[in-house]
Amino acid sequence: MIRRFLSITVSLISALLIVSCGGGEGPPALRLALQTEPTNLDPAFAVDYSSGWVSSLIHSNIVRFEPDGSISPDLARSWTVSGDGLEYVFHIYGGRFSDGGPVTAFDVERSLTRLVAPSTASPRWWVLEPVAGVPDFHAGRADRCSIEATDDSTLVIRLENPAAHFLNLLAMPAAGIVASAAADSLGRDYGRSPTGSGPWRLESWTSGDEIVLERNLFSPEAGSGVARISIRLIPETMTRVAEFEVGNLDVLEIPPAELELWRSAGVRLLRRSEMRIVYIGLNNEKPPFDDPRVRRALNMAIDVEPVIGHLLFGAAERATGVVPAGLRGSPLPGPLYSYDPEGAVHLLEEAGYPEGFSMEIWQRENPESGRILESVQGFLARAGIEVKIVTREWSAFKQAVDRGTPDAFYLDWFADYPDAGNFLVPLFHSQNRGGGGNRAGFADAAVDSILDIASGVSDPAARWELYAEAEQMVMEAAPWIFLWFPVRYEVVSHRLEGYEIPVIFNGQRFTGVSLK
Amino acid sequence: MGRFIARRLLLLIPILFGVVTVTFIIMYVIPGDPVLSLVGERYDEETLERLRGELGLDRPLALRYIDYLGRVARFDLGRSFVTGRPVMETITERFPRTLTLAGAAMLIAVAGGIAAGAVAGSGRIPWAGKGLMALTLVGVSIPVFWLGLLLIHLFAIRLNILPPSGYGGGSIRYLVLPALTLSFASMATVARVTRAGFLEAGSEDFVRTARAKGLGEGTVMGKHVFRNALIPVVTIVGTDFGSYLGGSVLTESIFGWPGLGRLIVQSILRRDFPVIQGAVLFMAILFVLVNLVVDISYGFIDPRIRGEEVDE
Repeated sequence: MIRRFLSITVSLISALLIVSCGGGEGPPALRLALQTEPTNLDPAFAVDYSSGWVSSLIHSNIVRFEPDGSISPDLARSWTVSGDGLEYVFHIYGGRFSDGGPVTAFDVERSLTRLVAPSTASPRWWVLEPVAGVPDFHAGRADRCSIEATDDSTLVIRLENPAAHFLNLLAMPAAGIVASAAADSLGRDYGRSPTGSGPWRLESWTSGDEIVLERNLFSPEAGSGVARISIRLIPETMTRVAEFEVGNLDVLEIPPAELELWRSAGVRLLRRSEMRIVYIGLNNEKPPFDDPRVRRALNMAIDVEPVIGHLLFGAAERATGVVPAGLRGSPLPGPLYSYDPEGAVHLLEEAGYPEGFSMEIWQRENPESGRILESVQGFLARAGIEVKIVTREWSAFKQAVDRGTPDAFYLDWFADYPDAGNFLVPLFHSQNRGGGGNRAGFADAAVDSILDIASGVSDPAARWELYAEAEQMVMEAAPWIFLWFPVRYEVVSHRLEGYEIPVIFNGQRFTGVSLK
Repeated sequence: MGRFIARRLLLLIPILFGVVTVTFIIMYVIPGDPVLSLVGERYDEETLERLRGELGLDRPLALRYIDYLGRVARFDLGRSFVTGRPVMETITERFPRTLTLAGAAMLIAVAGGIAAGAVAGSGRIPWAGKGLMALTLVGVSIPVFWLGLLLIHLFAIRLNILPPSGYGGGSIRYLVLPALTLSFASMATVARVTRAGFLEAGSEDFVRTARAKGLGEGTVMGKHVFRNALIPVVTIVGTDFGSYLGGSVLTESIFGWPGLGRLIVQSILRRDFPVIQGAVLFMAILFVLVNLVVDISYGFIDPRIRGEEVDE
């Protein structure tokens, strides 16, 4: 009762403050744009880029990503990890939901338990899979898991096995803390009117048009130089560019083809290597791609550098490994497969394909990938391989790829969190074949066991050594045609200060930016 | 007339039944799985099964079909698989915006098209007539996409007098460019048909008679020629308006206009069955109703048609 009274009083005072401070014009808004509309702002159901991105501005987590990808305190002001790496104790205080209620350790427990509860049926429950008891709890075989608040400000989480990347998992959008009362009462509608304790709260959402966020005045992070964020939903790239040109947007991602134009336009251009790899997955379970010699030959038959130069206008770095430069303990190795069409033909002869063969490469509908695959088609034709490019829209493409239908497919992988393991484990551990991320169906017991050992090693240098070894084995086995790590370019308006492109997509919460 | 309308409305029932059935079958024949758009890039089979169960996708097709028919009969279109929002709510939110855009586009098309067609057809200003007809040829051939970008470039970037895109909470400034873009093809067709109508009616006996009995040229054109030239125009306007009401995907995408067209395309890409089915049903009803209005309006323009319908 007292708490409710307090929160109402605080709301009233802040409402008065807002009214008395507000001028006729309204406070300055940061103006951003998204290509696709979020589908659901409930952390448990935010699976697409846009949903996770907006949800992360509204919900705070136990810990969060900084723009540079490092982990920093969020609701947990500090934490300790036991010597065996199994027990995490978080000290939670100071956070407030946008309705004014304080965030206690019990709220955090309820929210995380909701994520993994069978009744929630969240597709993102796996984020907490390393927590002791979660797989059983999720499957309905146990009635609790090892997430426990011992008092208002102490949360204890026990893991099944040591997991060095565990804090990264807690910073993902799915582990955002919801106000349980709101989530329970709204049910499926929570995703449309969320209540979090993040730096922003949802002010309005005009379907297909605009989402407006306002500062969550209860959040300790709220003292930023921006009062509102307007997120326009504009599907067309050219239209977003036009909006930036007339001065209606503060940040714009630049398509590679327009890079030169903007470079000479005298605007502020930002650059960031993405935590993303682009590849052509080969169906490792289907002949002739079950033969590593064939897969290596395909890698040797394609000259990746000119494709990057001419089709991506230089906005990518060649993937001579599978872990991007920013997440490595050592520099990227030199190319294992240099362009050698004759060598490729010899290797194919050795594998029993002196006449070459024909294959299909599947892609989802996208003009850029179409041009890239046409060039790949040209390269492979020189090695005697006839490529048919098959285009499907996203849903049909994904279904076919996950079922292992195509010979090969053009795809990319985004890191959910900045860790080498987030590339190697989902993409190459045999346990993750299919929908788990390993869509090429690569299976190597030696790689599996190195990856299993590595995830429990907490010393970063020692862990990287193991990952580097696994990466080397993957490169030699060539389950994919390795292509590139894209580089992202953005232009920002002259009035925006303090903004940088985040390493991980939910690492920029706009609390450190200001408008001149 | 009353019987005519009642019969047409009754005809709606088999049409809608057909639409529901065909959409339902197509949904399940095309490749792609709705649960895949709910799980993101990384998932396990168990989660897929659980979601299928939750959405009722694990039940036999026939059962789902009967169930869906039952719900449609009770005006319950269900909830979106992806957003969880009631389909009816989503459609009623989007439709007024589509209606605004379609209405404005039709208004421009009719006003501009008839004016241009009349000028060209009356033959009063020969050079203007030729110029206008050349322009209409451009109008019917120009891709909407290109036209939209050109208009944005001219009016938003160069002249800076109109916003490039968005809905602007219904502000008329935001409506001008998308409405103009959408209207262009219809305007051109209306102009050409009006011109043809004017030329044809102008050589009819009754027009010669009207002139012979000493009527002023204004009265001849307005009362005799114009009215007769209008019938095919109404047909075109009706058909175009009916299809615009279903949303105009390209125009909506270029201008970030939050209408039905984009909703439907997004739903198809995500295999959001309830939204697709609901939206298609809604569009079918609208299309039939608009055509009915067109048929009735013939009667008002040309009493001969009204007579035929009543006699029938």
